[in-house]
Amino acid sequence: MFEKVEAFHRPTSIREAIRLLEGGTGRAEVVAGGTDLVVAANSTTRILIDITRAGLSYIRKAGGTCTIGATTTMAELEASSVIRGLAGGILARAAATCGSVQIRNVATLGGNLANGSSAADVAPVLLALDATVVSADPNGRRQLPVAEYRKLVRSLLIEVLIPNPPGGKRCGWSFQKLGRTALDISLVNVAAGLKVDASQRVTWARIALGAVAPKAIRMATVEEHMKGRMLSAVSIAEAAEGVMRAVRPITDIRASADYRREMSGVLVRRALGECAAQAGVAL
Amino acid sequence: MKMMDLRVTVNGRPRAWSIAPGELLLDVLRREGFFGVKRGCEQGECGACTVLVNGRAVNSCLMFAAQVEGCDVLTIEGLADNGKLHPIQEAFLDHGAAQCGFCTPGMILSAKALLDRNPHPTEAEVREAMAGNLCRCTGYLKPVEAVLAAAARVAEEVGP
Repeated sequence: MFEKVEAFHRPTSIREAIRLLEGGTGRAEVVAGGTDLVVAANSTTRILIDITRAGLSYIRKAGGTCTIGATTTMAELEASSVIRGLAGGILARAAATCGSVQIRNVATLGGNLANGSSAADVAPVLLALDATVVSADPNGRRQLPVAEYRKLVRSLLIEVLIPNPPGGKRCGWSFQKLGRTALDISLVNVAAGLKVDASQRVTWARIALGAVAPKAIRMATVEEHMKGRMLSAVSIAEAAEGVMRAVRPITDIRASADYRREMSGVLVRRALGECAAQAGVAL
Repeated sequence: MKMMDLRVTVNGRPRAWSIAPGELLLDVLRREGFFGVKRGCEQGECGACTVLVNGRAVNSCLMFAAQVEGCDVLTIEGLADNGKLHPIQEAFLDHGAAQCGFCTPGMILSAKALLDRNPHPTEAEVREAMAGNLCRCTGYLKPVEAVLAAAARVAEEVGP
Protein backbone atom coordinates (compact mmCIF):
# COMPACT_ATOMS: atom_id res chain seq x y z
CA MET A 1 0.00 0.00 0.00
CA PHE A 2 2.75 2.42 0.98
CA GLU A 3 5.60 0.62 -0.77
CA LYS A 4 6.69 3.78 -2.57
CA VAL A 5 7.16 5.81 0.61
CA GLU A 6 10.79 6.96 0.74
CA ALA A 7 10.95 8.64 4.12
CA PHE A 8 9.10 8.67 7.41
CA HIS A 9 9.69 11.76 9.54
CA ARG A 10 8.85 12.28 13.20
CA PRO A 11 9.32 16.02 13.74
CA THR A 12 9.52 17.11 17.37
CA SER A 13 8.43 20.71 16.78
CA ILE A 14 5.84 22.58 14.71
CA ARG A 15 8.62 24.48 12.94
CA GLU A 16 10.31 21.26 11.84
CA ALA A 17 6.98 19.77 10.74
CA ILE A 18 6.20 22.81 8.58
CA ARG A 19 9.69 22.78 7.06
CA LEU A 20 9.28 19.08 6.14
CA LEU A 21 5.83 19.73 4.74
CA GLU A 22 7.16 22.62 2.64
CA GLY A 23 10.03 20.45 1.34
CA GLY A 24 7.68 17.64 0.37
CA THR A 25 4.93 19.65 -1.35
CA GLY A 26 2.81 17.39 -3.51
CA ARG A 27 4.48 14.21 -2.26
CA ALA A 28 4.10 14.42 1.50
CA GLU A 29 1.19 13.47 3.73
CA VAL A 30 0.74 14.42 7.36
CA VAL A 31 0.16 11.42 9.65
CA ALA A 32 -1.50 11.61 13.04
CA GLY A 33 -3.85 8.75 13.96
CA GLY A 34 -3.69 7.33 10.44
CA THR A 35 -7.23 5.96 10.67
CA ASP A 36 -8.38 7.78 7.52
CA LEU A 37 -4.99 8.17 5.80
CA VAL A 38 -4.07 4.47 5.85
CA VAL A 39 -7.49 3.36 4.64
CA ALA A 40 -7.34 5.89 1.77
CA ALA A 41 -3.90 4.43 0.79
CA ASN A 42 -2.84 7.14 -1.64
CA SER A 43 -0.20 5.50 -3.85
CA THR A 44 1.40 8.82 -4.83
CA THR A 45 2.62 9.48 -1.28
CA ARG A 46 6.43 9.47 -1.01
CA ILE A 47 6.97 11.18 2.34
CA LEU A 48 5.11 10.65 5.60
CA ILE A 49 5.30 13.27 8.36
CA ASP A 50 4.11 11.97 11.73
CA ILE A 51 3.13 15.02 13.79
CA THR A 52 2.13 13.13 16.95
CA ARG A 53 5.51 14.00 18.56
CA ALA A 54 5.44 17.69 17.57
CA GLY A 55 3.95 18.87 20.86
CA LEU A 56 0.38 19.25 19.60
CA SER A 57 -1.36 17.03 22.15
CA TYR A 58 -2.85 19.30 24.81
CA ILE A 59 -6.07 20.64 26.25
CA ARG A 60 -5.70 24.05 27.93
CA LYS A 61 -8.14 26.46 29.44
CA ALA A 62 -7.23 30.10 29.99
CA GLY A 63 -9.38 33.21 30.24
CA GLY A 64 -12.49 31.23 29.32
CA THR A 65 -11.02 29.99 26.04
CA CYS A 66 -10.34 26.30 25.62
CA THR A 67 -7.41 25.45 23.34
CA ILE A 68 -7.07 21.92 21.98
CA GLY A 69 -3.94 20.75 20.16
CA ALA A 70 -4.48 19.14 16.76
CA THR A 71 -3.13 15.70 17.72
CA THR A 72 -5.25 15.37 20.86
CA THR A 73 -6.96 12.00 20.49
CA MET A 74 -10.66 11.25 20.73
CA ALA A 75 -9.89 9.11 23.81
CA GLU A 76 -8.16 12.11 25.44
CA LEU A 77 -11.15 14.36 24.65
CA GLU A 78 -13.56 11.78 26.10
CA ALA A 79 -11.53 11.49 29.31
CA SER A 80 -10.71 15.20 29.83
CA SER A 81 -12.53 16.85 32.73
CA VAL A 82 -12.18 20.21 30.93
CA ILE A 83 -13.90 18.87 27.79
CA ARG A 84 -16.52 16.95 29.77
CA GLY A 85 -17.37 20.14 31.60
CA LEU A 86 -17.48 22.31 28.48
CA ALA A 87 -20.92 23.04 26.99
CA GLY A 88 -22.66 20.04 28.52
CA GLY A 89 -19.77 17.84 27.41
CA ILE A 90 -20.97 17.71 23.78
CA LEU A 91 -17.44 17.54 22.36
CA ALA A 92 -16.59 14.64 24.69
CA ARG A 93 -19.80 12.91 23.60
CA ALA A 94 -19.02 13.39 19.91
CA ALA A 95 -15.45 12.10 20.44
CA ALA A 96 -16.85 9.01 22.20
CA THR A 97 -18.82 8.09 19.06
CA CYS A 98 -15.87 8.23 16.63
CA GLY A 99 -15.52 4.48 16.13
CA SER A 100 -14.13 1.74 18.37
CA VAL A 101 -11.77 2.13 21.33
CA GLN A 102 -8.89 1.16 19.01
CA ILE A 103 -9.83 3.97 16.63
CA ARG A 104 -10.44 6.57 19.36
CA ASN A 105 -7.07 5.80 20.97
CA VAL A 106 -5.29 7.15 17.89
CA ALA A 107 -7.77 9.26 15.87
CA THR A 108 -7.24 12.98 16.47
CA LEU A 109 -9.34 16.14 16.61
CA GLY A 110 -7.24 17.76 13.89
CA GLY A 111 -7.40 14.67 11.71
CA ASN A 112 -11.17 14.52 11.95
CA LEU A 113 -11.33 18.11 10.64
CA ALA A 114 -8.48 17.96 8.13
CA ASN A 115 -9.79 14.77 6.55
CA GLY A 116 -12.77 16.88 5.48
CA SER A 117 -15.46 14.19 5.67
CA SER A 118 -18.97 15.67 5.65
CA ALA A 119 -19.82 13.20 8.44
CA ALA A 120 -16.94 14.19 10.80
CA ASP A 121 -18.49 13.94 14.25
CA VAL A 122 -16.57 16.82 15.81
CA ALA A 123 -17.43 19.27 13.01
CA PRO A 124 -21.05 20.15 13.96
CA VAL A 125 -20.00 20.43 17.60
CA LEU A 126 -17.21 22.89 16.77
CA LEU A 127 -19.65 24.89 14.61
CA ALA A 128 -22.16 25.06 17.48
CA LEU A 129 -19.35 26.21 19.80
CA ASP A 130 -18.18 29.02 17.45
CA ALA A 131 -14.73 27.41 17.32
CA THR A 132 -11.82 28.72 15.28
CA VAL A 133 -9.01 26.73 13.70
CA VAL A 134 -5.38 27.82 13.86
CA SER A 135 -3.19 26.62 11.02
CA ALA A 136 0.41 27.42 10.18
CA ASP A 137 2.58 27.56 7.08
CA PRO A 138 6.05 29.01 6.40
CA ASN A 139 4.52 32.52 6.33
CA GLY A 140 3.07 32.26 9.82
CA ARG A 141 -0.12 31.37 11.58
CA ARG A 142 -3.65 32.16 10.69
CA GLN A 143 -6.96 31.77 12.43
CA LEU A 144 -10.22 30.94 10.66
CA PRO A 145 -13.76 30.19 11.81
CA VAL A 146 -14.22 26.42 11.68
CA ALA A 147 -16.84 26.84 8.90
CA GLU A 148 -14.17 28.37 6.65
CA TYR A 149 -11.39 25.91 7.44
CA ARG A 150 -10.09 23.83 4.53
CA LYS A 151 -7.01 21.66 4.48
CA LEU A 152 -4.33 23.31 2.36
CA VAL A 153 -1.34 21.47 0.92
CA ARG A 154 1.40 23.51 2.62
CA SER A 155 -0.40 24.25 5.82
CA LEU A 156 -0.57 22.39 9.12
CA LEU A 157 -3.56 22.43 11.45
CA ILE A 158 -2.15 23.42 14.84
CA GLU A 159 -5.02 23.82 17.26
CA VAL A 160 -8.69 24.55 17.77
CA LEU A 161 -9.91 27.43 19.96
CA ILE A 162 -13.28 27.28 21.68
CA PRO A 163 -14.48 30.56 23.22
CA ASN A 164 -16.27 30.47 26.57
CA PRO A 165 -19.74 29.11 25.71
CA PRO A 166 -22.98 30.37 27.28
CA GLY A 167 -23.73 28.61 30.55
CA GLY A 168 -25.94 28.71 33.59
CA LYS A 169 -29.06 26.85 34.52
CA ARG A 170 -31.16 28.26 31.66
CA CYS A 171 -28.79 26.82 29.08
CA GLY A 172 -28.80 23.36 27.46
CA TRP A 173 -26.67 21.37 25.03
CA SER A 174 -26.99 18.21 22.99
CA PHE A 175 -25.11 15.98 20.57
CA GLN A 176 -27.07 13.41 18.59
CA LYS A 177 -25.76 10.85 16.15
CA LEU A 178 -27.50 8.30 13.97
CA GLY A 179 -25.59 5.33 12.58
CA ARG A 180 -26.51 1.73 11.81
CA THR A 181 -24.31 0.55 14.65
CA ALA A 182 -22.71 2.29 17.62
CA LEU A 183 -19.39 2.45 15.74
CA ASP A 184 -20.76 3.49 12.36
CA ILE A 185 -19.94 6.60 10.38
CA SER A 186 -22.78 9.07 11.00
CA LEU A 187 -25.78 9.04 8.67
CA VAL A 188 -26.74 12.31 10.33
CA ASN A 189 -25.24 14.08 13.36
CA VAL A 190 -26.47 17.14 15.21
CA ALA A 191 -25.01 19.52 17.78
CA ALA A 192 -27.26 22.07 19.45
CA GLY A 193 -27.24 24.64 22.21
CA LEU A 194 -30.02 26.85 23.60
CA LYS A 195 -30.34 29.59 26.18
CA VAL A 196 -33.65 30.94 27.44
CA ASP A 197 -34.62 33.86 29.64
CA ALA A 198 -36.77 33.74 32.80
CA SER A 199 -39.95 33.66 30.70
CA GLN A 200 -38.59 30.75 28.63
CA ARG A 201 -37.97 32.81 25.52
CA VAL A 202 -34.99 31.70 23.45
CA THR A 203 -32.19 34.28 23.72
CA TRP A 204 -29.47 32.29 21.98
CA ALA A 205 -29.47 29.20 19.75
CA ARG A 206 -27.02 27.04 17.87
CA ILE A 207 -27.98 24.16 15.57
CA ALA A 208 -25.41 22.43 13.35
CA LEU A 209 -25.64 19.23 11.35
CA GLY A 210 -23.19 16.87 9.70
CA ALA A 211 -23.51 14.34 6.85
CA VAL A 212 -26.40 16.23 5.22
CA ALA A 213 -24.41 18.59 2.96
CA PRO A 214 -20.90 18.64 1.43
CA LYS A 215 -19.62 19.72 4.84
CA ALA A 216 -21.08 20.25 8.29
CA ILE A 217 -23.46 23.23 8.29
CA ARG A 218 -24.94 25.65 10.78
CA MET A 219 -28.64 26.36 10.53
CA ALA A 220 -28.41 30.13 11.01
CA THR A 221 -31.87 30.88 9.61
CA VAL A 222 -33.52 28.36 11.91
CA GLU A 223 -31.55 29.70 14.89
CA GLU A 224 -32.75 33.26 14.07
CA HIS A 225 -36.33 32.03 13.79
CA MET A 226 -36.17 30.50 17.28
CA LYS A 227 -34.76 33.63 18.90
CA GLY A 228 -37.29 35.69 20.83
CA ARG A 229 -39.91 32.92 20.67
CA MET A 230 -41.13 30.78 23.55
CA LEU A 231 -39.34 27.44 23.70
CA SER A 232 -42.06 24.81 23.31
CA ALA A 233 -42.90 21.58 21.52
CA VAL A 234 -44.37 23.74 18.75
CA SER A 235 -41.28 25.90 18.29
CA ILE A 236 -39.07 22.80 18.31
CA ALA A 237 -41.25 21.14 15.67
CA GLU A 238 -41.00 24.30 13.55
CA ALA A 239 -37.23 24.28 13.91
CA ALA A 240 -37.07 20.63 12.87
CA GLU A 241 -39.16 21.39 9.79
CA GLY A 242 -36.93 24.33 8.96
CA VAL A 243 -33.88 22.11 9.21
CA MET A 244 -35.46 19.47 6.96
CA ARG A 245 -36.04 22.16 4.32
CA ALA A 246 -32.50 23.51 4.62
CA VAL A 247 -30.43 20.32 4.48
CA ARG A 248 -29.00 19.09 1.17
CA PRO A 249 -28.27 15.40 1.78
CA ILE A 250 -27.12 12.91 -0.83
CA THR A 251 -27.98 9.28 -1.47
CA ASP A 252 -25.05 6.91 -0.99
CA ILE A 253 -24.30 3.36 0.15
CA ARG A 254 -25.25 4.23 3.75
CA ALA A 255 -28.60 5.95 3.34
CA SER A 256 -30.91 7.70 0.88
CA ALA A 257 -31.25 11.47 0.74
CA ASP A 258 -34.92 11.19 1.79
CA TYR A 259 -34.04 9.12 4.85
CA ARG A 260 -31.27 11.52 5.87
CA ARG A 261 -33.67 14.47 5.50
CA GLU A 262 -36.32 12.74 7.61
CA MET A 263 -33.75 11.80 10.27
CA SER A 264 -32.38 15.35 10.32
CA GLY A 265 -35.79 16.41 11.63
CA VAL A 266 -35.93 13.57 14.16
CA LEU A 267 -32.44 14.27 15.50
CA VAL A 268 -33.00 18.04 15.72
CA ARG A 269 -36.22 17.42 17.71
CA ARG A 270 -34.31 15.12 20.08
CA ALA A 271 -31.42 17.55 20.38
CA LEU A 272 -33.59 20.59 21.11
CA GLY A 273 -35.71 18.48 23.49
CA GLU A 274 -32.57 17.59 25.44
CA CYS A 275 -31.45 21.24 25.44
CA ALA A 276 -34.88 22.30 26.74
CA ALA A 277 -34.79 19.72 29.55
CA GLN A 278 -31.33 20.91 30.63
CA ALA A 279 -32.50 24.53 30.50
CA GLY A 280 -35.37 23.63 32.83
CA VAL A 281 -38.13 24.09 30.23
CA ALA A 282 -40.97 21.55 30.42
CA LEU A 283 -42.33 20.90 26.94
CA MET B 1 14.12 1.20 -1.05
CA LYS B 2 15.90 3.00 1.73
CA MET B 3 15.27 1.14 4.98
CA MET B 4 15.13 2.71 8.42
CA ASP B 5 15.86 1.48 11.94
CA LEU B 6 13.10 0.83 14.41
CA ARG B 7 13.80 0.45 18.11
CA VAL B 8 10.81 -0.87 19.97
CA THR B 9 10.09 -3.05 22.97
CA VAL B 10 7.84 -5.98 22.07
CA ASN B 11 6.53 -8.23 24.85
CA GLY B 12 9.10 -6.83 27.27
CA ARG B 13 12.15 -7.38 25.05
CA PRO B 14 13.93 -4.55 23.21
CA ARG B 15 14.19 -5.11 19.45
CA ALA B 16 16.10 -3.35 16.70
CA TRP B 17 14.49 -3.99 13.35
CA SER B 18 15.04 -2.67 9.87
CA ILE B 19 11.79 -1.51 8.27
CA ALA B 20 10.64 0.20 5.09
CA PRO B 21 9.43 3.75 5.86
CA GLY B 22 5.86 3.04 4.71
CA GLU B 23 5.44 -0.36 6.38
CA LEU B 24 2.48 -0.94 8.64
CA LEU B 25 2.92 -2.27 12.17
CA LEU B 26 0.80 -5.33 11.34
CA ASP B 27 3.13 -6.34 8.49
CA VAL B 28 6.30 -5.85 10.52
CA LEU B 29 5.01 -7.79 13.54
CA ARG B 30 3.94 -10.75 11.38
CA ARG B 31 7.22 -10.71 9.47
CA GLU B 32 9.04 -10.91 12.79
CA GLY B 33 7.01 -13.97 13.73
CA PHE B 34 4.22 -12.56 15.88
CA PHE B 35 1.47 -14.49 14.11
CA GLY B 36 -0.97 -13.95 16.97
CA VAL B 37 -1.44 -10.52 15.38
CA LYS B 38 -4.08 -11.47 12.80
CA ARG B 39 -4.52 -9.97 9.37
CA GLY B 40 -8.26 -9.39 9.06
CA CYS B 41 -10.01 -6.56 7.26
CA GLU B 42 -6.98 -4.22 7.06
CA GLN B 43 -9.44 -1.32 7.39
CA GLY B 44 -9.62 -0.87 11.15
CA GLU B 45 -13.05 -2.49 11.34
CA CYS B 46 -12.52 -6.02 12.70
CA GLY B 47 -9.94 -5.62 15.47
CA ALA B 48 -8.21 -8.96 14.73
CA CYS B 49 -4.87 -7.12 14.45
CA THR B 50 -5.26 -5.41 17.86
CA VAL B 51 -2.08 -4.91 19.89
CA LEU B 52 -1.40 -2.71 22.89
CA VAL B 53 0.92 0.27 22.36
CA ASN B 54 1.96 1.80 25.68
CA GLY B 55 -1.01 -0.01 27.22
CA ARG B 56 -3.61 1.25 24.77
CA ALA B 57 -5.45 -0.96 22.26
CA VAL B 58 -4.80 0.00 18.64
CA ASN B 59 -5.42 -1.54 15.23
CA SER B 60 -1.93 -2.45 13.98
CA CYS B 61 -3.27 -2.44 10.39
CA LEU B 62 -3.81 1.34 10.61
CA MET B 63 -0.54 2.28 12.26
CA PHE B 64 2.79 2.81 10.57
CA ALA B 65 5.53 0.72 12.16
CA ALA B 66 7.71 3.83 12.41
CA GLN B 67 5.13 5.34 14.77
CA VAL B 68 5.99 2.88 17.57
CA GLU B 69 9.65 3.99 17.78
CA GLY B 70 10.55 3.90 21.48
CA CYS B 71 7.17 2.45 22.46
CA ASP B 72 6.12 -0.62 24.41
CA VAL B 73 4.13 -3.07 22.28
CA LEU B 74 2.27 -6.06 23.69
CA THR B 75 1.01 -8.87 21.44
CA ILE B 76 -0.89 -11.96 22.56
CA GLU B 77 2.42 -13.89 22.57
CA GLY B 78 3.60 -11.73 25.47
CA LEU B 79 0.59 -12.15 27.72
CA ALA B 80 1.26 -15.50 29.38
CA ASP B 81 3.91 -15.38 32.11
CA ASN B 82 6.45 -18.23 31.64
CA GLY B 83 3.76 -20.56 30.34
CA LYS B 84 1.23 -19.50 32.96
CA LEU B 85 -1.82 -18.15 31.17
CA HIS B 86 -3.11 -14.69 32.03
CA PRO B 87 -6.42 -14.78 33.96
CA ILE B 88 -8.25 -13.41 30.90
CA GLN B 89 -6.87 -16.28 28.80
CA GLU B 90 -7.92 -18.78 31.51
CA ALA B 91 -11.40 -17.28 31.60
CA PHE B 92 -11.73 -17.53 27.80
CA LEU B 93 -10.91 -21.26 28.11
CA ASP B 94 -13.26 -21.81 31.05
CA HIS B 95 -16.17 -20.08 29.30
CA GLY B 96 -15.68 -21.59 25.84
CA ALA B 97 -15.20 -18.04 24.58
CA ALA B 98 -13.03 -19.05 21.61
CA GLN B 99 -14.15 -21.09 18.64
CA CYS B 100 -12.02 -20.69 15.52
CA GLY B 101 -9.75 -18.39 17.53
CA PHE B 102 -9.08 -15.79 14.85
CA CYS B 103 -10.57 -12.87 16.77
CA THR B 104 -9.42 -14.17 20.17
CA PRO B 105 -5.99 -12.47 20.47
CA GLY B 106 -7.54 -9.08 19.69
CA MET B 107 -10.44 -9.65 22.05
CA ILE B 108 -8.17 -10.68 24.90
CA LEU B 109 -5.87 -7.68 24.38
CA SER B 110 -8.83 -5.25 24.26
CA ALA B 111 -10.04 -6.84 27.49
CA LYS B 112 -6.59 -6.47 29.07
CA ALA B 113 -6.40 -2.78 28.19
CA LEU B 114 -9.82 -2.33 29.80
CA LEU B 115 -9.07 -4.26 32.99
CA ASP B 116 -5.71 -2.54 33.47
CA ARG B 117 -7.57 0.80 33.62
CA ASN B 118 -10.84 -0.34 35.10
CA PRO B 119 -10.47 -3.56 37.14
CA HIS B 120 -14.19 -3.82 37.91
CA PRO B 121 -16.08 -2.91 34.73
CA THR B 122 -19.81 -3.22 34.24
CA GLU B 123 -21.12 -5.44 31.44
CA ALA B 124 -21.86 -2.30 29.40
CA GLU B 125 -18.26 -1.15 29.84
CA VAL B 126 -16.96 -4.54 28.70
CA ARG B 127 -19.19 -4.48 25.61
CA GLU B 128 -18.09 -0.93 24.80
CA ALA B 129 -14.40 -1.80 25.21
CA MET B 130 -14.74 -4.83 22.91
CA ALA B 131 -17.04 -3.28 20.30
CA GLY B 132 -14.06 -2.94 17.95
CA ASN B 133 -13.43 -6.70 17.91
CA LEU B 134 -15.66 -8.64 15.54
CA CYS B 135 -16.32 -12.38 15.88
CA ARG B 136 -17.86 -14.51 13.12
CA CYS B 137 -18.43 -17.73 15.05
CA THR B 138 -18.71 -17.85 18.85
CA GLY B 139 -20.50 -14.53 19.12
CA TYR B 140 -20.13 -12.09 21.92
CA LEU B 141 -21.96 -13.52 24.92
CA LYS B 142 -19.23 -15.89 26.06
CA PRO B 143 -16.32 -13.48 25.57
CA VAL B 144 -18.19 -10.85 27.59
CA GLU B 145 -18.92 -13.41 30.34
CA ALA B 146 -15.27 -14.45 30.29
CA VAL B 147 -14.01 -10.89 30.71
CA LEU B 148 -16.41 -10.22 33.58
CA ALA B 149 -15.31 -13.45 35.27
CA ALA B 150 -11.65 -12.57 34.71
CA ALA B 151 -12.10 -9.11 36.19
CA ALA B 152 -12.30 -10.41 39.76
CA ARG B 153 -9.37 -12.80 39.21
CA VAL B 154 -7.17 -10.15 37.56
CA ALA B 155 -7.64 -7.88 40.55
CA GLU B 156 -6.67 -10.73 42.92
CA GLU B 157 -3.80 -12.39 41.05
CA VAL B 158 -2.10 -9.61 39.16
CA GLY B 159 -2.64 -6.88 41.68
CA PRO B 160 -2.79 -3.16 40.90
